[in-house]
Amino acid sequence: MATASGGGEFVDKFPDEAAVIKASFLIAFVSLGIGAFFGLVQALHRTNVLRVIDSADYYTMLTGHGVLLAIVFTIFFLCGVFHWAVARSLDRPAESALFSWAWVGLMTTGAVLATIAILGGFVPNLGMSADVLFTFYAPLQAHPVFYIGLAMFIVGTWLSGADWFLSYRAWRQDHPDERIPLQTFMVLTTMIMWYISTLGVAVSVVFFLIPWSLGLIESVNPLLTRTLFWYFGHPIVYFWLMPAYLLWYTVLPKLAGGRLFSDPLARVVFLLFLLLSTPVGIHHQYLDPGIAEGFKFIAMTNTMFLLLPSLLTAFTVVASVEHGARQRGGKGYLRWLGALPWRDPAFTGMALAGAMFAAGGFSGMINAGMNINYLIHNTLWVPGHFHLTVGTAVALTMMAGSYWLVPQVTGTKLYSRPIGLLQVIMWFVGMVFMSNAMHRAGLAGIPRRTAEPQYQNFEFLTPIGSIFELRVQIALGGTLLFLSVVLFLFNILLTSLGEESDRPVDSHLPEPLSGPEGSPRILDNLAMWTGIAAVLVVLAYTLPLAGIIQNGGGLFGGGLPVPATVSAGFDLVLTTVTSAFNTLWGVVA
Amino acid sequence: MKLTKARALILIAFSVPVAIELRTVAGFFNVELPLIAVAVIEFLFLALLFVLYGLYGEGSESAA
Repeated sequence: MATASGGGEFVDKFPDEAAVIKASFLIAFVSLGIGAFFGLVQALHRTNVLRVIDSADYYTMLTGHGVLLAIVFTIFFLCGVFHWAVARSLDRPAESALFSWAWVGLMTTGAVLATIAILGGFVPNLGMSADVLFTFYAPLQAHPVFYIGLAMFIVGTWLSGADWFLSYRAWRQDHPDERIPLQTFMVLTTMIMWYISTLGVAVSVVFFLIPWSLGLIESVNPLLTRTLFWYFGHPIVYFWLMPAYLLWYTVLPKLAGGRLFSDPLARVVFLLFLLLSTPVGIHHQYLDPGIAEGFKFIAMTNTMFLLLPSLLTAFTVVASVEHGARQRGGKGYLRWLGALPWRDPAFTGMALAGAMFAAGGFSGMINAGMNINYLIHNTLWVPGHFHLTVGTAVALTMMAGSYWLVPQVTGTKLYSRPIGLLQVIMWFVGMVFMSNAMHRAGLAGIPRRTAEPQYQNFEFLTPIGSIFELRVQIALGGTLLFLSVVLFLFNILLTSLGEESDRPVDSHLPEPLSGPEGSPRILDNLAMWTGIAAVLVVLAYTLPLAGIIQNGGGLFGGGLPVPATVSAGFDLVLTTVTSAFNTLWGVVA
Repeated sequence: MKLTKARALILIAFSVPVAIELRTVAGFFNVELPLIAVAVIEFLFLALLFVLYGLYGEGSESAA
């Protein structure tokens, strides 16, 4: 891993980049505060502990909670982390500060427009609402401003990626024979994956949802918009996770007192995510009737392959942390755990987030299993799962990472380490309560996405304990999580208002134990990996999409005929791919 | 090994999921553990930790 050449803190060395990162973090943290408040209201409402809103408004809050946390908070924070990582690992500023501010501005405008559309749902007279939830596919329809805002936001992320690729291109001209610095490699592979995966949602929003919400077309094909959403909706999980992985791979070992175990293994993991993140989205649609079972089976198989990079990460990160503990005097098979720097909220938060991610991975395997998924599909199990993954592995890592990153871009010392430590532990405990109860409630069949999970003349039963206990657990967990966010925002605010320090944090990142020298250079051939990723996407999605359009009511649904030229094109694609598949099958068999 | 405040907090944090799932684990062995029993076990664990912190924690004579 190339380290930024010595001397000076990040904010002194790259003041323009630090300003961009601070702006990104600010918007992320404002979104976090609002989204967490919405989450608290929902947790108390659903569990019938405290009801301050009408149940009809629950869905407005649910949409706000999902969009502000899962899209705005995570992606703005990600952009800040990636901007930091590229500048420090290439040891050069962005090519154009104006361009950097352009993507920040576009993303902010888009996020504000989408938020206005969502919050408009609280004011019925306004005629503007977007109660379509985070999964904003048809048939639920939002105000056009919501979709336009989202489109601007996505284009903003594309520009941010272009910013980092421009930096890389300039660096490459000066360093033609060097390996791509690890952090930049992670950023670039993640952004390639993002470009490929956002094509689906871009097509869905620009060609179907915006014209539909403006009344330019009468109907859309709901299954098509669902499939295009999930084409993007699963890779976004990895878009959230990759900045967390970047911090786990490159910062956590240093915080533990050690060094990254293997640079090449980290590169392999990011490439596997680039290849496998997108051709798996259909595993969210196991119960959709318009997709053949065979395609669902392929999606499940691809999804199970994704366990490989996750398990490689578990091994590499734990090995790196153990190395750090032993450098600090830790001994024995497990006693080394006691030698880790548990006083440091940045370390403890990331370590706890990693531990929770393991649990989230196991429940994710249940989601991904085609047969066993039917047991928990659309139940509270699913929010229980993603509150462990994006809600903890990602969000807690981002908050913990902030305790180390924010001082670097503000030049001020962290206001309080004890408050930070209490905050990350409170998040862990709160999430244990809430997520555990959600999983168990899902097993009892309690549905998700509803303000009123009760049915008349019917009672949900749990094998152990009672539904009442689960409701109390969810309410208690939600409250602890909200308090944790309040502590975090308080700590960060006072940090940013603190006095400037010459050395607010030890920002040096040591070289890995095993560097990139011994690994094949082909790992850095981004064009080749992009091509393979694109081929896998074409293989996984061509036939399902063609089938959905031909058999599911055409491009625009409503029984409208598919234009003859388009239909002929689909026939050609179907015939070609089917015959190619049959030929391949014949060779294999 | 000295029991610092941070280590004590981590032990408390990890005791929560263990306590929550204690009844499930007991259920595997056909033991129906009432909620109050779990609460008592967790309370006893916290009390033990408190005592250990007093004996071996930061600032105690033993630790010094």
